[in-house]
Amino acid sequence: MTDSTSWHELFANLPIFKDAIITGGLAGALLGFIGVHVVLRRMVFASSAIAQAAALGVALSFWMPIIIDPVRHAAGHQAGSDVHLISSLLFEPVLWAIGASLLATLVFIANPVRLHLTRESLLGLVYLCSGAGAVIVGDRITQEAHDLSAILFGSAVVVQPADLVLVSAATVVLLFGHLLSWRALIFVGYDPIGARVQELPVRRLNAFLFLSIGIAVALSTRALGALPVFAFSVLPAMAALAISSRMSVVFGLATLFGALSGVAGYAISFRGELPVGATQSALAAAFVAAAMLGRFLVRVLRRNGDG
Amino acid sequence: MADAVDRAPLLRALDLRVGYDKRSILPPITATIARGELWAVIGPNGAGKSTFVRTLLGLQSPVAGRVERAPELRMSYVPQQGALDTIFPISVAEFVLMGRQGPGRFFGLPGRADLEVARAALAEVDAADLGRRQLRDLSGGQRQRVMIARAIASRAALFVLDEPTSALDISSEQQVMELITALRARHDAAVVMVTHLVEDGLERADRALLLDRDHDVALSATAAEMRASPAFAHLYGRALARAEVRPEVAR
Repeated sequence: MTDSTSWHELFANLPIFKDAIITGGLAGALLGFIGVHVVLRRMVFASSAIAQAAALGVALSFWMPIIIDPVRHAAGHQAGSDVHLISSLLFEPVLWAIGASLLATLVFIANPVRLHLTRESLLGLVYLCSGAGAVIVGDRITQEAHDLSAILFGSAVVVQPADLVLVSAATVVLLFGHLLSWRALIFVGYDPIGARVQELPVRRLNAFLFLSIGIAVALSTRALGALPVFAFSVLPAMAALAISSRMSVVFGLATLFGALSGVAGYAISFRGELPVGATQSALAAAFVAAAMLGRFLVRVLRRNGDG
Repeated sequence: MADAVDRAPLLRALDLRVGYDKRSILPPITATIARGELWAVIGPNGAGKSTFVRTLLGLQSPVAGRVERAPELRMSYVPQQGALDTIFPISVAEFVLMGRQGPGRFFGLPGRADLEVARAALAEVDAADLGRRQLRDLSGGQRQRVMIARAIASRAALFVLDEPTSALDISSEQQVMELITALRARHDAAVVMVTHLVEDGLERADRALLLDRDHDVALSATAAEMRASPAFAHLYGRALARAEVRPEVAR
């Protein structure tokens, strides 16, 4: 396969891939923006833990029909792969992913100091319980393992039109909310005591932040997989923070890097016949490396200029 | 020293017991903080000063007793410099504008009036030219002045400062202390300052609160009464109690 053929194929088949490309770009932009708060508040594993919880939710959505009606489920398998699940809104993976994510988010909203714990230890608890649960449930659903794996590690095929609609809606609503409360969220993250003394609704603002992380991560995990979701919520923010010291520029760059990682990562994975999620994550990491290198070079040039 | 007799009380601690897990760590404290007063909260490390201040600010519940606030009282808190995370790329202007946020005033971008207030607050602390700098890049003295500018920008009636001179050189210490002293007069506000500069604090303050968890002391008094008290003498020595040493020695 030559380069031109490959790129040509991508453009020729754009109608087929466009949902996945747009979903990747929107999820990257949303998670990139929110990720700045995640990185600045030193809770990078929050999105990983929530993604893990979302994965458990998806696994449970596959497993529950087997528990509830094993006979019908087995009959479905014999009839064909398209009808092997009990078709019901109740078992819609995205709902389970959101539900599990919001439950995980509740743990973060709890005040860890009252429990004589750190927030980091609560993140560990959620991550480990969800991870163990996903493995145990995954072992029970061997026939759906391929679908589950695609959800956990990302696959262009799994991006359904419904995923695009949900991720688009979440991007618009959550970004609007974040832009509206942008200054307050920074204040609350930077100086929570000062914010409380000035009577800002600190708990409600934190709840909004964690809920938005939960919803963004759950929907994106269902659409793209856990790996790129974790990458988008950490790496674009890191790259932006390495480049700029202006808060508004940092948020803008992180959003841009996230969107580019989602879109260009998809294109590169198609061109190189690479796994989508891993390629999107690698591209986001490449932005960090480029930003670090750029920062280093600027420092060297400035030092030489001063000398 | 300001006369506080006819001044409006902003905050009253009534038989206030502070502590953790329903256990009091200090004797009951009764004190009235009035508009225009400067209070120095002194005591050794681990004396319970921060616990008292947190309770006063409503950040933690009293073990017993109560704190009464004047209706609509607006407060501002100046934390220790080390409490602010240097990973945040916060400019001086952005930091001072945080002072403009409050209940119902945190959505969207700051207005022109907010920018004007922030500019004036920076000018008041002699930091008008620092607006575009990163807070984390400033010297300790500059940063402390900017932190006070945020409190000024909040238009609070009560400023609470936690160790505002810790980790500053002597000249910055004096600058900051003078700024704090001027706050109450310029803004007709009350100032509560936790300080390790015992003598300087007593010199400038209208009233002082001596806290010592180890010796079960919570003494509220004027500076003169404080110096004469056996608890103060026991803690800081006779020489300091008679104010015979220079302020630097008292640190």
